[in-house]
Amino acid sequence: MSIGGSQLDSSWFLLLGAILFTLGAIGVLVRRNPLVILICIELMLNAVNLTLITFSRQLQNPEGQLFALMVMTVAAAEAVVGLAILVEIFRVRDAEDIDDLSELKG
Amino acid sequence: MGLLVFFVAAALAVAGGIGVIAFHEPIRSVLSLVVVMVALSILFLLLSAQFVFVVQIIVYAGAVMVLFLFVIALLGPAKEPSRGRLRFQPWLAALFAVVFLVLVWVMLQGVQYRQPTLTDLKVFGTVEWIAVQLFTTYLYPFELTSLLLLVAAIGAIYLSKRNIEDL
Amino acid sequence: MNTGQLALLVLLLPAAGAILLAGRGWRLPRIWTKIVGPGVVWASFVVTLVLFINKASDDVTYFTWIKSGTFDVPFNLLIDNLSIFMCLVITGVGALIITYAVGYMAAENDASFARFFTYMDVFIFSMLLLVLAGNFVFLIVGWAMVGLSSYFLIGFWYQRRSAVLAARKAFVMNVIGDVGMILGAFVLFTTYHAITYAGVFNALPCANGKSCIGGDSPTLELAAFLLLVGAIAKSAQLPLHTWLPDAMEGPTPVSALIHAATMVTAGVYLVARMHPIYDIATYAHASVAIIGAVTALFAASIAIVQTDIKRVLAYSTMSQIGYMFLAVGVGAYSAGLFHLMSHAFFKALLFMAAGNVIHSMHDEQDMRKYGGLFRQLPRTSWSFLIGSLSLVGIIPFVGFFSKEQILGAAFSKPDNTVSLVVWGIGFVTALITGFYTGRMWWMSFAGKPSPERPVEHPHEAPSVMLIPVMVLAVLATIGGLIQTRALGFGPQAVSDFLDTVVGKQPWEGGVADVILSLITMALAGLLFLAAYRIYVERTWKPWSTRFPRLQRLLERKYYFDEAYNFAFVRPMDAIADGGFTHVEQPLIDGVVAGTGHVTEAGAGSLSLTQSGYFRNYVLVFLAGACIAAILILVKSNS
Repeated sequence: MSIGGSQLDSSWFLLLGAILFTLGAIGVLVRRNPLVILICIELMLNAVNLTLITFSRQLQNPEGQLFALMVMTVAAAEAVVGLAILVEIFRVRDAEDIDDLSELKG
Repeated sequence: MGLLVFFVAAALAVAGGIGVIAFHEPIRSVLSLVVVMVALSILFLLLSAQFVFVVQIIVYAGAVMVLFLFVIALLGPAKEPSRGRLRFQPWLAALFAVVFLVLVWVMLQGVQYRQPTLTDLKVFGTVEWIAVQLFTTYLYPFELTSLLLLVAAIGAIYLSKRNIEDL
Repeated sequence: MNTGQLALLVLLLPAAGAILLAGRGWRLPRIWTKIVGPGVVWASFVVTLVLFINKASDDVTYFTWIKSGTFDVPFNLLIDNLSIFMCLVITGVGALIITYAVGYMAAENDASFARFFTYMDVFIFSMLLLVLAGNFVFLIVGWAMVGLSSYFLIGFWYQRRSAVLAARKAFVMNVIGDVGMILGAFVLFTTYHAITYAGVFNALPCANGKSCIGGDSPTLELAAFLLLVGAIAKSAQLPLHTWLPDAMEGPTPVSALIHAATMVTAGVYLVARMHPIYDIATYAHASVAIIGAVTALFAASIAIVQTDIKRVLAYSTMSQIGYMFLAVGVGAYSAGLFHLMSHAFFKALLFMAAGNVIHSMHDEQDMRKYGGLFRQLPRTSWSFLIGSLSLVGIIPFVGFFSKEQILGAAFSKPDNTVSLVVWGIGFVTALITGFYTGRMWWMSFAGKPSPERPVEHPHEAPSVMLIPVMVLAVLATIGGLIQTRALGFGPQAVSDFLDTVVGKQPWEGGVADVILSLITMALAGLLFLAAYRIYVERTWKPWSTRFPRLQRLLERKYYFDEAYNFAFVRPMDAIADGGFTHVEQPLIDGVVAGTGHVTEAGAGSLSLTQSGYFRNYVLVFLAGACIAAILILVKSNS
């Protein structure tokens, strides 16, 4: 069965999730502002959530929705800590460009 | 009807996604992400995930994004970054992203979808339904997640202190 | 205690002494070393006497060392008259020499002192193992170990470069002999599938009354020749002789014990022990005699021109061992062994007396700087004279009886041109022996003191060094009286003792032998006295002024060292150098260092992926995800 068939079935949602994920990936790769990179990561997480919920509906399984809740919680925690680190870096040095933070070279 | 809602929400989501990566100023990216989240919550509703729909709006769009906005406000306007150092990065990124997308599409081709059975919306996706699972079968992950939140909170407080004696 | 236990005791007492001294000797007061060092050898001598008195004879197997298919090597000791004879000589003369060494080495520090006696005890143990062993494997073990002890002892004063080089030379030449011996043992093993003496000898043709038809065979000749190579190397016969004069770098007790009395006689013992093989392998047997005779003449001629007193004695040793080889080569085994014993007496005596002289002249060894020591060192001079007369072969000293018995046996052997030829060579050598011995004695002890003397008034050596010398002088004087076969009548205790093992000499001497012996003695004595005229009175010109080229030839030892250096040492050095530059450095160092370089280069190129840029790393993540997706697709489609 090809995706994007006439009926509204899971394949549509999954394709959308894939597109959003790819957009998020491109954003992480291309943008250089650390803050925007974190935002794109959130976008990727949301795409994953969509996929999870879709499969939950498809398979009549509560696990998908629960997992999506967990993802949300973890995303929140990760955003908190990530932003705290970011603020700390900004306080010490003006890191507008993530390429400046390359001390792990070699 | 469902199809129409889907397409509207999907279009909004994609537009928001492009906006996230395209805008120069971070504040516009954040706001685009909020749009994406709202669109996604509509889609969740379409998929009979009522609780998750609400949680998405309240917690994700309402709290996490607000956090981002606060940080942007704290850090001030973003300066225009100069030309990047990695010259091949955008091209490689585009290449790999497209390859990835194609691969996912091919993978999805192989999946056999069947019509999902009609569910009883009085049960599936409701608060009670989720709560029962959360407090019985999946109690362990639930408690661990709460612990995780606690750790994150402590970490954030620690990281943002200027002087350690103030703690 | 039965024979087996006593024999083991004889063997292990010196070993125990060596271990004790090696472990503790340098930490305890010196008196312990002085007691333990010689003491264990004296104890071993006493036990050997017990074995001798009890007329012990046994082939005792203590345990099986290796058993692998048909290769069965027991640790067995063969105790018969021959081995008891050798043990008596080794432990008796050895004990005297080691006691002497207590005085001679007194100037060493405590650690060196203990080290010396450790090595000496190791040597005694190895030599005893060599003569007591009952199979080829342990013979070779003892053989190699005496070579090792010799190396240690020659290079004892290792701070001296000449000593170290001499030790190395001795060891290398001994190894050549070891290889020959081992190959000989291999040949015997593959032919007869036995490794013990009893096993091999019983399997020979002509053994146990079997007929001798078809007895001699190429394999037996080969084995006999290979064993002879070992004997030649160990006994410093031509052509593997060049190490013995250099070995005089070691302390005098070492020269006395190893390079006069015992180790260098191991070759003679070997031929005597292997006499069943040599009785059959006639060509190898004749070679023994020829090599011995030629070496005797060769060494005696070189001894004429030596100026270092120890070198004269070293070449003299080489010459006398040539006599022993001559004897066992014509089949007069007990004559050769009797000369072994008598040579041990008078040569050890000569070396130790020379050591007394060297000691009193503050380590001066050049005889031209001596002169007139007779009055100042009377006891040493008399002892040295007794030893010298014994060496020349004057009645009544033991050297006469043993040397003339050999020459008589060679002369009177019926139907044998080889033995007549070697007799002729031996006769000439005896005369030359008289000459160089006389030269040695007159130059050192008679005449006026040389103006270059380092010490004006030398003192006699302390008692611990004099008494062993005098004991040996007594033995050299009366020792001949137990075997007076050379005179055609009288007791023949030694022959009777040994003939049970080595076989009675099949032919009898005649009156001609006795007359020839007396003529030889007289001529040699005349030459001894002639040396007085040349070197002391200076009435006759030394022959060296008449034949300067001959003098140079002899001084350069017939250019043997130069020839060997050219033929063997230089090519080996070249090969080693070539190997080093062309194999060792590029290949082995290359591989080892190269592995490091390759790893470094690899790591260097890999570290380029660690660019430090976050975005690069994310790109790699994405690439990995793509690859995972491809793999999943491939798997699900296949």
